[in-house]
Amino acid sequence: MNSPNAKTVALPYNRSRQAREAETMLDHLTDDFDDNPAAMAYFYDLFRRAYCKGESLEREGVRVGTTCIHAPEELIYAMGATPVRLCNGSYHYDQVGADFMPAKSCSLVKATLGMLSSENVIPKVGKLDLIVNPTTCDQKKKASAMMAGMGHQVYDLELPPAKESEQARVYWQRSVREFAQQLRSLTGKKLTRKNLMAAMARTGRAQAAFRTLHNFRRKSPSVVLGKDVFLITNAYFFDDIERWTEAVEKLNAELVQRDKDGFCAAQKKAPRILFTGSPPIFPNLKLPLLVEQSGGVVVADETCSANRMLYDMTAVDEWLVNDMVDSLADKYLKPCTCPIFTNNDDRIRRLLELAKSFAVDGVVYQAFAGCQVYEMEQRSVAEALNKEGIAMLYIETDYSPDDMGQLTTRIEAFLESLKSRKRKRA
Amino acid sequence: MNYFAGLDIGSTAIKVALVGEDGKIVGVHVSSSGSLFHKNAKEALQNLLTKLGVDKDDVRYLIATGYGRKLFKEADDSISEITANAIGAFEAGKAFGGVRTIINIGGQDSKAIQIDDTGNVSNFAMNDKCAAGTGRFLDVAARTLDIDLEELGDYHFNGKGAPLTINSTCTVFAESEIIGLLANGHGKEEIIAGIHYSIAKRTVRLAKRVGIEDRVYFDGGPALNKGLVAAIQDELGRELVVPEYPQTTTAFGAAMLARSEFMAEQGLEKA
Amino acid sequence: MSQLKKAKAAFDLINWNRFRFWFQMSCFVLLVYGGYLGLDLGKHLPTFSCIYNTEARGGACYLSILQHQMAWPWQKLFSVAALTILTGFLTFAAWFIAINKLWCGLICPLGTVQDWMTALRRRLGVRYGRYTLGQFRVLAQIKYILLALMFLIPLGIGAGWFHKDWGLPFCMICPARMIIPAFDLNFTNWVVDFSTTPKMILSSLGIVVVGLFFVGIFIKKRFFCFFCPMSAFLYLISKPALLTLKKDGDKCTRCGDCYTVCDMDIREIADEVKNPRIMMDDCTLCLKCVAACPEPGALKANYAGITFFEATEAGFIKRSQKGIGLEQPKR
Repeated sequence: MNSPNAKTVALPYNRSRQAREAETMLDHLTDDFDDNPAAMAYFYDLFRRAYCKGESLEREGVRVGTTCIHAPEELIYAMGATPVRLCNGSYHYDQVGADFMPAKSCSLVKATLGMLSSENVIPKVGKLDLIVNPTTCDQKKKASAMMAGMGHQVYDLELPPAKESEQARVYWQRSVREFAQQLRSLTGKKLTRKNLMAAMARTGRAQAAFRTLHNFRRKSPSVVLGKDVFLITNAYFFDDIERWTEAVEKLNAELVQRDKDGFCAAQKKAPRILFTGSPPIFPNLKLPLLVEQSGGVVVADETCSANRMLYDMTAVDEWLVNDMVDSLADKYLKPCTCPIFTNNDDRIRRLLELAKSFAVDGVVYQAFAGCQVYEMEQRSVAEALNKEGIAMLYIETDYSPDDMGQLTTRIEAFLESLKSRKRKRA
Repeated sequence: MNYFAGLDIGSTAIKVALVGEDGKIVGVHVSSSGSLFHKNAKEALQNLLTKLGVDKDDVRYLIATGYGRKLFKEADDSISEITANAIGAFEAGKAFGGVRTIINIGGQDSKAIQIDDTGNVSNFAMNDKCAAGTGRFLDVAARTLDIDLEELGDYHFNGKGAPLTINSTCTVFAESEIIGLLANGHGKEEIIAGIHYSIAKRTVRLAKRVGIEDRVYFDGGPALNKGLVAAIQDELGRELVVPEYPQTTTAFGAAMLARSEFMAEQGLEKA
Repeated sequence: MSQLKKAKAAFDLINWNRFRFWFQMSCFVLLVYGGYLGLDLGKHLPTFSCIYNTEARGGACYLSILQHQMAWPWQKLFSVAALTILTGFLTFAAWFIAINKLWCGLICPLGTVQDWMTALRRRLGVRYGRYTLGQFRVLAQIKYILLALMFLIPLGIGAGWFHKDWGLPFCMICPARMIIPAFDLNFTNWVVDFSTTPKMILSSLGIVVVGLFFVGIFIKKRFFCFFCPMSAFLYLISKPALLTLKKDGDKCTRCGDCYTVCDMDIREIADEVKNPRIMMDDCTLCLKCVAACPEPGALKANYAGITFFEATEAGFIKRSQKGIGLEQPKR
């Protein structure tokens, strides 16, 4: 790269493969649907600026990349650093990652590593001072050394493989405390009651805003579409948390009005879909988009790019640093429904509860090819749902757009069968 | 006279079915898809109408299905081929005493569909992405062995030895495996039987995923291949119901749906 | 009805910890100083309103009279006179059934004293300790042993096996005997009674326990309640209680918020999702878990089947933002 002979052709960023990939997705998200909420403009614009135009989102101070939802962001904020979720959804970076990753690894990990190995990455969040890599699935565990090999400073946040035992809880609490120590040596700042409380308040407010949005999705007919909600939660990965919260609160205010006006974001009879499994991450919003293009509406989700990331809130008994840190640790472990844990009845219970309380007609289960844990858990989830009379569509896919046609057929057939099922019941 | 058309625009063939008010098939037509889906689909429809001497305006309702359904804007409606297939098989299966499980092998995908006693899809499964176990696989095999697609069935039953095992599930790898077997002096017959069993195994696994109930209906172009039918029956351990025109079941389903949609609309207008 | 519903909705938003603090304070005043106001709730209360707080108390703990009665000579114990014991027990049970273990979490003066000590520790910025699950399992048994001894020793006295100076064995070692009267500036029990060997042993043990109590409460929230035989006793008869703590496991995400705030380290409150009757033996019904639960309707406090306090999202957010000291910005 630095050799004097090498000449890079200055391709305008917006003509690059990744920019066009993002642009195509954004165009679909905005143009294929009428009456997008006015408050969504903030998010559409944010993604256009960040992904299509390559505008910088660089922050002041220490930047900490995270590769999973398990890294407690409150600790990072408390010490004056900024977290950036690195999980990537770009097919472009998936291809880059495929150059050095096993063919059977999952798109998400490939894309994330592909991005980390590239220069001028998008979204432009600036040089990372540290990458926190929670030891979740095998692929992410092994990614740690690869990231270090690319010259990143990586910290392995040790997560237990089971979550239900008390040992696991204690082990994890210790991991989180050590992580706080690590952040302290990185930032030179001390974790205090005051700065942690402020950080928790900020995250708490963001979560409260998310929950309000989440609750709007109970309404039937829907007042907001799932593709927009996924875009919003995806923005949380890299956006300024306060600006993000305000934008969501603004949207919530708009939804109150929409609801009063009797507005419908989707047809009254549109099958209501609960989305679960591998996370839709921009620009790979392929599946939720297909569902809603085909006349369904995603009313709830159980994924780590949305609900699982923002839903569960922290309660603290005594507002002392230690107690707050332990409470945070609990929040990041106990309610997590990631299939990496040995026993995961919680996920099934959660899905059943969401299906019930959001009046769901069917469940769409996405598994990235190569994500063994999601692939393996598919059976038990389908069985549990079918037992309750809820149909589930299992889709194994990756970031490549080449199966869109086939997926459309499957999704449409699924929605058609849900509709006829509904008609029969009525 | 009112007619209703179903147009199944698949990846390899375009199938048209025309039904009358009584729900009986008036005629079917199959032609190759080529690369110009839209143009060829229009032609296929016109060809059938000309052949039958039916005026275009008498076709009251047209439903498109299949891979290219979205491109055919002249259709009154479109529906996924899974639902259309289910309706078609349900209607056609009545003559066989009713069917509940459908196996469909198309040009680029294979499906298993389970329907309930009213013809609604209750579960379905589809191959993921790759062409293994689809019509394309047979295509490639026939080409590699340098024989006609239609001959595959005959070769299947003429083998002297046991069917060979084709391990590769991938179409591309299977091709080289076939060449390897030929080079080792194996007969085409045994190889072809092996291919059929390989496809049958995958298809039956798919069917087991949705649950096998009652009579099993087998359609799609490859259902014309008697050897494949035999292999699937063998793997499945039960008889298959194979219709007379297995290729057009889906188009027939779309036409039947067009008919009932039209009836429903008429009913509404009258009321 | 809608008025009632509104009232309940407002109550669900309550700052529970503050409400509980003032409630406990009021009960403390009534039970520890009620005597001066002419209050007498009798001697069958299911709470540690100590009988040794002779003049000031507004009612007395049942364990004292129970041990006294158990030590009756057996001829008397197994005669018609035992009816007195039965009516006593029924009075006690009636008090208890009315509000279940709310007696522990909201009323017990010794519990309140512990909460005050906890507050003091918190002010000093000292963090609390926790038992490991193994320790917890063992320690949780001690209260049953104490409960058994509390019956067996007096029965032994009645049978003539033990000297009568072993009487009221639990009261002698109960920290309330020294601590509660002290609030009336009555320190008569803060001595070792050298009159007889049993008395000397028991009173010395009592002092040791009080010492442990003060050390323990500085480390562990509700330190004594883990060992409290009253708590064990009440749990054993809690089935018909009118006030109940209910959990809807389907709604629970097992986030562990309730477990985090539980003074008694009750793991089941977070992890049990099948059994709706979630009041475990150590539970004091302080209802902090209900206040700390963000899942609407996952935890409920019912009275005779009617919910009067339940987990709500709005309540949770309001309380947690209060905890942080930052209210939601007004829009």
